[in-house]
Amino acid sequence: MTIEEAEPNPHVLGWIEDSVPLFPSFLDDPYDPAEINGYNWWDPNQDFAHDLINTSSASIASTVTTADSNTHADTTAVTTHTATDPTAAATTNHSEESVKQETSKKRKASLGNQDHTRRRNRSVSTIENPGSFNVKAAKPVLGGVKRPSSKKRPAMSSGNNSNGGNKEGRWAEQLLNPCAAAITANNLTRVQHLLYVLHELASPTGDPNHRLASHGLRALTYHLSPSTSLPSSAPFTFSSAEPRFFQKSLLRFNESSPWFAFPSNIVNSSILQVLSDEPDKSRNLHIVDIGVSHGAQWPTLLDNLSRRPGGPPPLVRLTVISPTGEGGNADIPFSMAPPGHDVSPLLLGFAKTLNINLEINRPSKLPLQSLNPQSINTSPDETLIVSAQFRLHYLSHSDRTEFLKSVRALSPKGMILTENNENCACAGCVDFATGFSRRIEYLWRFLDSTSAAFKGRETEERRLMEGEAARALTSTAEMNEGRERWCERMREAGFTGEGLGEDAIDGGRALLRKHDGNWEMKVEEDGGSHCCVSLGWKGQPVSFCSLWKLTPTSPDDY
Amino acid sequence: MAMAIDDAAELDFSAYSTSTTTTTSATTTTTDDEYGCNWNDWSPVVDWNTLSGGQDDFQDLIESMIDESGLQPALSAVNYQEGCNSPSTDTTMFTDEEPSGDDLKGLRLVHLLMAAAEALTGVNKCHELARVILVRLKELVSPTDGTNMERLAAYFTEALQGLLEGAGGGHGKHLISGGPQRDDHHHHQTDVLAAFQLMQDMSPYVKFGHFTANQAILEAVTQHRRVHIVDYDIMEGIQWASLMQALVSRKNGPPAPHLRITALSRGGNGRRSIGTIQEMGRRLTAFATSIGQPFSFHQCRLDSDKTFRPSSLKLVRGEALIFNCMLHLPHFSYRAPESVASFLSGAKTLNPRLVTLVEEELGPIGDQGFVSRFIDSLHHYSALYDSLEAGFPMQRRARALVERVFLGPRIVGSLGRIYRTRGDEEGGSWRERLGATGFRPVDISFANHCQAKLLLGLFNDGYRVEELASNRLVLGWKSRRLLSASIWSSPFDSDS
Repeated sequence: MTIEEAEPNPHVLGWIEDSVPLFPSFLDDPYDPAEINGYNWWDPNQDFAHDLINTSSASIASTVTTADSNTHADTTAVTTHTATDPTAAATTNHSEESVKQETSKKRKASLGNQDHTRRRNRSVSTIENPGSFNVKAAKPVLGGVKRPSSKKRPAMSSGNNSNGGNKEGRWAEQLLNPCAAAITANNLTRVQHLLYVLHELASPTGDPNHRLASHGLRALTYHLSPSTSLPSSAPFTFSSAEPRFFQKSLLRFNESSPWFAFPSNIVNSSILQVLSDEPDKSRNLHIVDIGVSHGAQWPTLLDNLSRRPGGPPPLVRLTVISPTGEGGNADIPFSMAPPGHDVSPLLLGFAKTLNINLEINRPSKLPLQSLNPQSINTSPDETLIVSAQFRLHYLSHSDRTEFLKSVRALSPKGMILTENNENCACAGCVDFATGFSRRIEYLWRFLDSTSAAFKGRETEERRLMEGEAARALTSTAEMNEGRERWCERMREAGFTGEGLGEDAIDGGRALLRKHDGNWEMKVEEDGGSHCCVSLGWKGQPVSFCSLWKLTPTSPDDY
Repeated sequence: MAMAIDDAAELDFSAYSTSTTTTTSATTTTTDDEYGCNWNDWSPVVDWNTLSGGQDDFQDLIESMIDESGLQPALSAVNYQEGCNSPSTDTTMFTDEEPSGDDLKGLRLVHLLMAAAEALTGVNKCHELARVILVRLKELVSPTDGTNMERLAAYFTEALQGLLEGAGGGHGKHLISGGPQRDDHHHHQTDVLAAFQLMQDMSPYVKFGHFTANQAILEAVTQHRRVHIVDYDIMEGIQWASLMQALVSRKNGPPAPHLRITALSRGGNGRRSIGTIQEMGRRLTAFATSIGQPFSFHQCRLDSDKTFRPSSLKLVRGEALIFNCMLHLPHFSYRAPESVASFLSGAKTLNPRLVTLVEEELGPIGDQGFVSRFIDSLHHYSALYDSLEAGFPMQRRARALVERVFLGPRIVGSLGRIYRTRGDEEGGSWRERLGATGFRPVDISFANHCQAKLLLGLFNDGYRVEELASNRLVLGWKSRRLLSASIWSSPFDSDS
């Protein structure tokens, strides 16, 4: 590898210079690197990822560096240096290779006596070091907000004391829902009264109730008079965000909240699980990404692939199906990236450092309904996996099963479905008031959990994420269904639930442990197999992840 | 101390004494004047008329707000979408710019107060919501600053805060120094007297009740040599100074009868202590002596639970017995309903010649309990505030004193009572209860009616008097009825 070859384009460089935490930590992933025979965990080629990840969260890397090694006494300095020119850094680190390998060996030795090496990463990062030294080390990089690290732990569990499922504290809904009901009932006087009160209490900052009132008021106003231009205080949305800020916000959010990080984690584990079930390790991997992660989940997967026994697949193909931006599908919160945002160069550069042959395709303006072997260019000698995250609920109820059947027609080795676990709010299903209250319920969980994630701090990143989530209030594309209904549809389309392995479940559990105590996961026991994992906030369902394989219908299928 | 007496001595009874021959028609028409806050003009952004189908006053507006079905006719499905543009545009408007004036702010306050009341008790009861609304209200109002509505809202806010904190205790302990009991430890006696004086000068509220009752008493006792008045809440005794003047100045009538007044006293409760009543009795006696009115003064102590026992009353055969029950401002606003009930039922057993009752006029009681009563109360006091301001637009400090001494504590007390009973007090008004228990209405004379009109003529045009029943006069400010005076006699023949 030469410097010239790997010179990232200026755009990426500039991005990195901001010391933006780039990718969520993969190091809590339970995927067991110890199974990789002879694989050098500290392969210098990995330093790019290492340092990227190091900056991004309370990671094992920073712990090790700070605690075990004097060579990296100042993690931040290394990070900055590396981030300035990752390739150069990687090259530089060659000179440190011996030191690092030594460190790595020491570390391996110290961990070697553990019976369950499977749990190694998690135990290092969260169990053996329950204190927050690693957090402290990483903190200054995290957007410049300096807080005493001692506050970290208590703050994390602060949500435990809050009101849980108790609605008493959720006052904003006591105004918003009656207002929606009054709209449905044509009671204009009552509507006006409640709008007045909401206007007095709404605030884009403050506790989640004030925020909910603010977003809700805007949505109600918009509903009453769609022609009115939205008030000047309209929140940020993804599509209007500056691309680098967008990326930064997304990563920051994924560090702080498991809202998306948890499903991404399960998806990655599921992909690895499907791969490990395939007898032929030399097949290419083809992932069809119908998601909202905007690339943020893939570095972790790539890293895990590179540590796989026998090495990564010869070719990893990523086909990203972005919303076409036409019709309802642009309306799905979190799905539209700002114009100009392209994570591909970075992913490719990252893959290169892992010696993974990555190919990224972005079929332009490909509607979901046009998904077929030609449009995504499948090949018979690859392992095809379809990952659909929070995107399918825009398909009308009647098209949904049909679409799933078309996915089945692609004959993927695995299909991972992640969706909001809630009832439909669309006008075809329920009246405005009912639909609105369901949307409000969704947004409440988002705002409440995000408030806990950001520990009440006001940041622009938080505003962006919340503003984007609030689009669910006005989106016409919110046609959610509960987990059971989705699973039913999957079975109708010819899929069979595949039990999620312990790796996936333990990984999800480990991830949640890093977040507010009000988060919870539940392994759903459908028909004896653990094909679904539900994520919940304060006892209320948020989302679910499920892994599916084709139901054998004829010998051709297998 | 002397102030009240002096004032009483100076009362001008020319109106009274000439009322039988005067045909001056006092104006009772309701006109918008430059002082009054016309509720209808409150919102520059909301055309309430189009919303409410031409309802022209605040009460209707408020009622319509709480009456889910009240406005359905105005909101046909056809014009719904069009109608809906109105609030949404408004929302946009006040999102974009600061509220433009007092009127809009007043409207905002009303909405917030209503919502807070609803959050305390409504179907969607949510104390957390009430708390948040009250926090917001406190940012917006002060009992001593701002417009009428802002000062009024401050007292209502305080009252609601007390309800929220004390679960119905109703003890305002933050902004307002008095509780539901008019606790005079908190007000200097001079403040109370000054406020009383101001109230009397600034509005017809005090005199309307006293004059109407006194005129009825005078007409009822023309043939009697001895008159015994049992007074439920004698206050400063000012009502009786004016009655004595009237008795001694009767033209062509019999000599003034002997007047005996028995004041009910309540042990240990602030100014109503026996000592104070004795002091007031001495002043009344002195005054009677000075004008040549035969007079004696007694007091009758209520039981410890404020119950009136007829047997504790000293009666003299042959005297005309009058029960006088003044419950309006500035008489102590609120007595336990049980106490008032014991007084009136006690009256029934003693077969009085006359029962004079003045009470606050309540709006129609809606079906929403506390909330509708709360709004009615808000409407009531806002009319009071407006009338005081209209009468004395420049006397800001004077009004503030009246508000602080009388209105604020009364608001707190009355909301506490409404809250505790959840809005459904049995029987509604006392006059209804008197009627229901067999008391017979006594017609209000033409003279009495004219006297009331003349009295109002001394004040602002916004006041009006209505004869809503043959035995009942109602004083109102613009379209809002505020006080009701009614005259009754014993169910049994009381010719003694």
